[in-house]
Amino acid sequence: MELAFAGWSGILILLMYGLIMLGVGLVTYLRNRNIHQSLDEYYLGGRGLGVMVLFFTFFATQYSGNTVIGYPPSAYRMGYEYLVSVPFFIMIIVAYLLFAPRLYKLGKKYRLITPVQWFEKRFKSKNITILAAILMLYALGNYLLEQLVAIGQGVSGLTGGTIPYQIGVIFFVVIMLIYGWLGGMRSVAYTDTMQGIALLFGIFMLLIGSIIYFGGLPTSADYMQAYSPEKLGVPDGPGVVNWLSLLVLVGIGAAVYPHAIQRIFAAKSERTLKRSFSRMAWMPFFTAGVVFIIGIIGINAFPGLSTAESEQLVGMMASAVANQNVIFYWAMVLLFGGVIAAIVSTADSVLLTFSSIISNDLYGTYINPKATEHKKLLVGKLAGVVAVCILILVAWFPPATLYQIFVLKFELLIQIAPALILGLYWNRLHNKAVFAGMVTGTVVASVMTFVNFTPFGIFSGLWGLLINLAICVIGSMVMSVSVGEEDEAKQVIGM
Amino acid sequence: MNQTRKEPIKNGKLWIVFGVLFAMITPWYFPESFGEILIYGIPLWAVIIIIGSMLLSAFLSYVLKYHWMLEEEKEEAEQKGAK
Repeated sequence: MELAFAGWSGILILLMYGLIMLGVGLVTYLRNRNIHQSLDEYYLGGRGLGVMVLFFTFFATQYSGNTVIGYPPSAYRMGYEYLVSVPFFIMIIVAYLLFAPRLYKLGKKYRLITPVQWFEKRFKSKNITILAAILMLYALGNYLLEQLVAIGQGVSGLTGGTIPYQIGVIFFVVIMLIYGWLGGMRSVAYTDTMQGIALLFGIFMLLIGSIIYFGGLPTSADYMQAYSPEKLGVPDGPGVVNWLSLLVLVGIGAAVYPHAIQRIFAAKSERTLKRSFSRMAWMPFFTAGVVFIIGIIGINAFPGLSTAESEQLVGMMASAVANQNVIFYWAMVLLFGGVIAAIVSTADSVLLTFSSIISNDLYGTYINPKATEHKKLLVGKLAGVVAVCILILVAWFPPATLYQIFVLKFELLIQIAPALILGLYWNRLHNKAVFAGMVTGTVVASVMTFVNFTPFGIFSGLWGLLINLAICVIGSMVMSVSVGEEDEAKQVIGM
Repeated sequence: MNQTRKEPIKNGKLWIVFGVLFAMITPWYFPESFGEILIYGIPLWAVIIIIGSMLLSAFLSYVLKYHWMLEEEKEEAEQKGAK
């Protein structure tokens, strides 16, 4: 991304961010030295996150740098049809209502650390647990890869190429690894708070600057009425199907993100969790809504951009706004620092959950159940470092099918939803049906994505989910579970 | 202790309201003309979607506050006990 204002001021801000994050990690470490002996302390911050920190860690984890950089170009190209980005973020909280209350209670009761542990507890099936772990690790790895690429591009853009892509990735990855290693979930959540505030400040300044400099929504509407009225129009048939699919896919898909679920376990109390969700329910207006307006203003500010050119929209608008005066100049430098911070904050959350699944669910459950917590933690941390090294190599030499690998993230992750959610409520859910549903859903979603087959405009992940759900429900009705198994399930759910 | 235990998923009425709001935030019911009427530069249909989204957020906040109560009383009793 070309930024006219970037350069040394960008380097200064990035160095400052890096140092603050390291400082947070160090302070957390010095205050809680015992966290390296306990999975609970390290991965969940001792289950003691209060409303503000919990809210910001949910916020910074859910809204990544892509929300700021990637959403305005989509709004620019699609017009008001992309307004769907606001309600789909609200749908994530609606989806939480389906399972978070019960999962929080059970998480506390059984001292769950990762979502995979719930599968193990509920189904007691190695097949289901390992498949769920693989799906989650795949999605998390994929998500992490995206963030690494974004960090590199962001850093090189903000510093006008002074810091090359690769150095940017390495610099922030090392910082992230150090503070993550030192303070675990606490460092991650505290840095998320700082990063979330920087991001919010930056996008509001860009909005104000854009309105002053380019004119607000009415000016943009005049332009659209004259040159592209379809961007103002009501979405047509396929547009409505796409809208609906996004509401469901993103709502459920983002709600079952393993790193988001882990934050449910990290809440200090039910009241804390409820309040954080309640605040999150309004955040789409202040983030997705604001960046949507910026994209719409862009239609008038930089008309006629091709798809590739429009991807640079936020950089172009920020450059123009930064040229207005010194306040906006520094606000825009901060915005891009905030964007990078948002990417890092998403990446660190993902990495922490990735490590926890390896250390607790794979190593601690199947490979070496007798290991001490300290050893399990060490394995998780090392696995995290190895994963990041491999992903950096992939980011360095991206394979040709990278795009399709990216796309597959939501499609596959969503396949854990029926087992996760139905398992919380339905005692008669049959293990074999759950496993068959998950496997079939995964295969269907992957194949359909690779051959780009989306009947009726509905995303392949949703087709996979529908088939998965049907197999789960019908299979459980046909293969009735034994009385013993049903009683056992009743006891586990215990409500 | 269990008298006030509430779980949103078990309350069908809430989900009827969610269903209505979900229908409201999906643009299937607007006539074409709603794309031509502008309110402060925003097409009328989008204004209705925004209002619907705000209602959804408001209803969500209400449900979170008053219809989810599984552990709260117990936790607060424990906290008081600890003090």
